[in-house]
Amino acid sequence: MIGVGKAKQYANVLDRPIGKGKQEVSLSAFAFLFSELVQYNQLQVDNIAELERRLEDAGYAVGARVLELLCHREKEGDTAIGYSFFHTQHRHCDMMAQWASHRARVADSLEKGTEHEDEYMISEKELLVNRFISIPKDMGAFNCGAFVAGIVRGVLDNAGFPAVVTAHFVPVDGQHRPRTTILIKFAEEGTLDFQSLKKQRYRYCNEKQDWINRRENWSNGFGMLTYLLAS
Amino acid sequence: MQFFGGTEISPSPPVPTASGNNGNMMYIFNRNGVCLLYREWNRPLKTLSSQQDHKLMFGLLFSLKSLTAKMDPTSAEKGNLGVPQLPGQGCSFHSFRTNTYKLSFMESPSGIKLILVTHPRTGDLRDSLKYIYNLYVEYVVKNPLYTPGTPIRSELFNKTVDQYVRGLGTELAVMLCKKPSYVCVLAD
Amino acid sequence: MAAIYSLYIINKSGGLIFYKDYGSAGRMDTNDSLRLASLWHSMHAISQQLSPVSGCFGIELLQADTFDLHCFQSLTGTKFFVVCEPGTQHMENLLKHIYELYTDYVLKNPFYEMEMPIRCELFEISLAQAVQKERVSLLGR
Repeated sequence: MIGVGKAKQYANVLDRPIGKGKQEVSLSAFAFLFSELVQYNQLQVDNIAELERRLEDAGYAVGARVLELLCHREKEGDTAIGYSFFHTQHRHCDMMAQWASHRARVADSLEKGTEHEDEYMISEKELLVNRFISIPKDMGAFNCGAFVAGIVRGVLDNAGFPAVVTAHFVPVDGQHRPRTTILIKFAEEGTLDFQSLKKQRYRYCNEKQDWINRRENWSNGFGMLTYLLAS
Repeated sequence: MQFFGGTEISPSPPVPTASGNNGNMMYIFNRNGVCLLYREWNRPLKTLSSQQDHKLMFGLLFSLKSLTAKMDPTSAEKGNLGVPQLPGQGCSFHSFRTNTYKLSFMESPSGIKLILVTHPRTGDLRDSLKYIYNLYVEYVVKNPLYTPGTPIRSELFNKTVDQYVRGLGTELAVMLCKKPSYVCVLAD
Repeated sequence: MAAIYSLYIINKSGGLIFYKDYGSAGRMDTNDSLRLASLWHSMHAISQQLSPVSGCFGIELLQADTFDLHCFQSLTGTKFFVVCEPGTQHMENLLKHIYELYTDYVLKNPFYEMEMPIRCELFEISLAQAVQKERVSLLGR
């Protein structure tokens, strides 16, 4: 770094280098950016379904990229090979839920759909994107969580689990605000058989051990899964 | 998201000292809006001609009165906005404060309006205005040479008012934070 | 008895964008509240012209016979004012808090059009909470 160790006094505040600061994003900055995104898309469409689709598409692009980031950030210790598929999938969703809530905490709840085997729900009391947003009455059940749904779809799709993801408002008793539920419905081919996956994985590990060692961010179950499903 | 630090957004002039510069100016209007008296003690900023200034002041008082009469949250019958109110009719006001001055207002039942502009941190001046009104009655109304409705040209009145307001400044500087009971002492 | 009678928000050109009544006697119709708002807007501007010293930002507190009117003007010209019982304290803080709610729940809402009447459910909810809280603390004092 240039100038390290020199305590230089800057007369003009504009000359001062931008400090690294906290590695956080201001909630306001995010809220304004998201607000602009919605407003821009609103100008481009003539109906609400179209707006929802556009927001989801925007989220999809984010999700596709964020998957890589999640893989990269995954902790080293989690390289356990014998992960059950379900566990992986569950963890998968869990992480997404984490990300989707844009916070370093797990979403308020992640539930498995009771009616269908291939449905999952991420429930958030207050979705971050919806924190400041009031939906006008004439827009009906429109939910800006469509963006988050898009992110989840992006992550899932790129991890090899194609799914249909939608955001819904669910009223809660005694609360003014409904909660938002992200409904994930996996496509048929997404739900793989656990046994065959496990077998595949062992084989993969034996063959590619050296390769894994070189690419450390692939050495977690997640990366492998991605690789597996892509190959 | 806290936008406001501990600092005050509106800067106010320094607290008056004992030198008696607490009063800025005083107006007396009659019910027709004629400015009977204008006294000025401390007014560095002047943007308008005195005639325009008086008109603006009278207009402001008139409109604020109709505003308060209409806004009055305690009575159900408020009439229409902008209809002239008789003195004493409807909800009126006795002062307003900005970051640079405080305006105290009194209207007598005969329609005489007394306006005293002072430092923003002065306390309740209702009794002081009553006292000035008392001076007006004593020195102006009781003066046989004065024709009602014409500008006041009375050296004696001017002097007494000046002195009183200056004294107000001294008193206020001392008693700024105390109860405004000093006025009674002065008035006696 | 309500300590706070009503709340007005007016945009920088004097248009009323939000009005809420908390129990005044004799309800005001929309026309009246609109006219009052624009009247206040011009009175506020005139009070600046009449200042004896420079740097005046307009009326902060109007003390009427039956009520106090506290006004807060943001640097962008949006005015917030509450009508309350005479002598009610801490209204400046309440107004600043309402301004904060406005910046959060109104300005960050993509469906809000600038300078237009405020119709934001979240704003109303959090405003009701703020006013309720203020009332409770006023009663406690």
